Amino acid sequence: MSTVIRVDGLSKTYGAGSGAVHAVSEATFELAENRIYGLLGRNGAGKTTLMQLLTGQEFATRGTISVFGEQPVENARVLERVCFIKESQRYPDDFRVKHVLKSAPWFFANWDAAFADELVERFRVPANRRMKKLSRGQLSAVGVIVGLASRAPLTFFDEPYLGLDAVARQLFYDVLLADYAEHPRTVVLSTHLIDEVSNLLEHVLVIDDGRIIIDADADELRGSAVDVVGARSAVEAFTAGREVLHRASLGGLATATVAGLDDAGRAAAREAGLELAPVSLQQLVIRTTTLGDAEPENGEPA
Amino acid sequence: MTAVTASTPSSPFGRAWRTVRLLTTNPWTVIGWPLVILGAIFVMTWTIWWLIFASVDPADLTETADGIRFNGAVSYIFVYMLVISVQAVNLAFPLALGFGSTRRAFSLGSGLAFVLLSAAYAVVLTIGAWLEELTDGWGLHGAFFRTFYLATDAGWLAQWWIYFCWFVFFFFTGTIFAAMYVRWKALGLTAAFVALGVLVVATIAVLTLTATWHLFWEALAELGTIGIASAALVPAVLAAVVGYLVLRRATPRG
Repeated sequence: MSTVIRVDGLSKTYGAGSGAVHAVSEATFELAENRIYGLLGRNGAGKTTLMQLLTGQEFATRGTISVFGEQPVENARVLERVCFIKESQRYPDDFRVKHVLKSAPWFFANWDAAFADELVERFRVPANRRMKKLSRGQLSAVGVIVGLASRAPLTFFDEPYLGLDAVARQLFYDVLLADYAEHPRTVVLSTHLIDEVSNLLEHVLVIDDGRIIIDADADELRGSAVDVVGARSAVEAFTAGREVLHRASLGGLATATVAGLDDAGRAAAREAGLELAPVSLQQLVIRTTTLGDAEPENGEPA
Repeated sequence: MTAVTASTPSSPFGRAWRTVRLLTTNPWTVIGWPLVILGAIFVMTWTIWWLIFASVDPADLTETADGIRFNGAVSYIFVYMLVISVQAVNLAFPLALGFGSTRRAFSLGSGLAFVLLSAAYAVVLTIGAWLEELTDGWGLHGAFFRTFYLATDAGWLAQWWIYFCWFVFFFFTGTIFAAMYVRWKALGLTAAFVALGVLVVATIAVLTLTATWHLFWEALAELGTIGIASAALVPAVLAAVVGYLVLRRATPRG
């Protein structure tokens, strides 16, 4: 499997001195071809900045980026294979939905017009409405339609769920999986609604405060931690010396999210009369990102 | 199962041409409405002339006909094109980048679009000027297209060139201010206006302090409408180059 994106020591700093904002700090990671990646993190964590860096829209302060083996900035060979409709994408004032769909094919060699028309119908986007008059959900739907119908070898979806109703979210999920199966490509999906997409993702990057704090296979990550529930004293005894991501207690009961529990550890927990419960991806991310002293995957604290 | 693969690479011209098409995606904005509004302004201007001529003493007719050669009704279309170029850089640029265009391709393409539109609109105005002469000022000795500032007696090609130069000037003046805004937002725009203001005031100061205003007016008279329009290409080219340099490091923001 070949590598599509290789990022090494990437930093983006706005401003200088004590007021400097470290939007991305020392990020190092690789994305392989034809997989679906989740770029997860809180609002303002640096997701959009990172995607702008990867698509040559933003300029790195330090570090290197290689997309399809080349640096992306002002590089037509790279950018012609990339589709990135930002969540906050702006459109010309005179553009209606149909104008977006009319102009997109000029830029994307693999554009499928029939597929785009079908999606407009299914997402119930009013093709004749001005882009300025669209609701938040309809605006997201246009971004999703362009992203899907472009069939760009590297497609970014920036907060595609914003404003979409439950039906439309399910539709996006179904269509993306079906089309991805037929036309494999590399997809990077950024969102803070983690549970919604967790089944879609094959690999997860979690960014917090500009740092990549998790870079792991989605399945591996789901199995990487487990909730241990039981009497407070038993939980405390069991977790002593183990890596605990999160603790909560209510009366005599306690819950601890324990990382890296192997089979022997699980057996020991059961023997101690403790119950084991799976941790959802969302819970895992929340517990990792709210923990002040989280060990970053790489990079220095900003 | 067909993996999405890289297609044949496009040519630099092909990439620039996409921008030309993007800027004219909605033809009403760049072609339809400007012509409709130009027509409406023409009808209104003609009506005003008719009212003026109906109310002046026949003895003053020649003087009146001279007077209306100074109207600026047609200047609307030049300002409209400036707005078009501002919108192009401010709003079409972020979309072009989202579609995977480079800043270079966008700049080349928008420049090409502006030059082509300038040429086409110059043809439209030249035809108007020709009709104006043919009908002896639309039957009223009026000057809508051949106003004092734009008219020439050096032939239709020269007339076209004057219009063309002014369109180019307005298009590219728009791009540099929009580029400053896209790159540095309100701060950049303010800086651009301040710089322009300083330049204008400095020129006025130099001409006043050296008491050389008469030379300035003589130079303009010497240049004539063709010379002045041609000279407007200098700031236009400067604006195009600086605009590209500014845009080359710009990041579209939400």
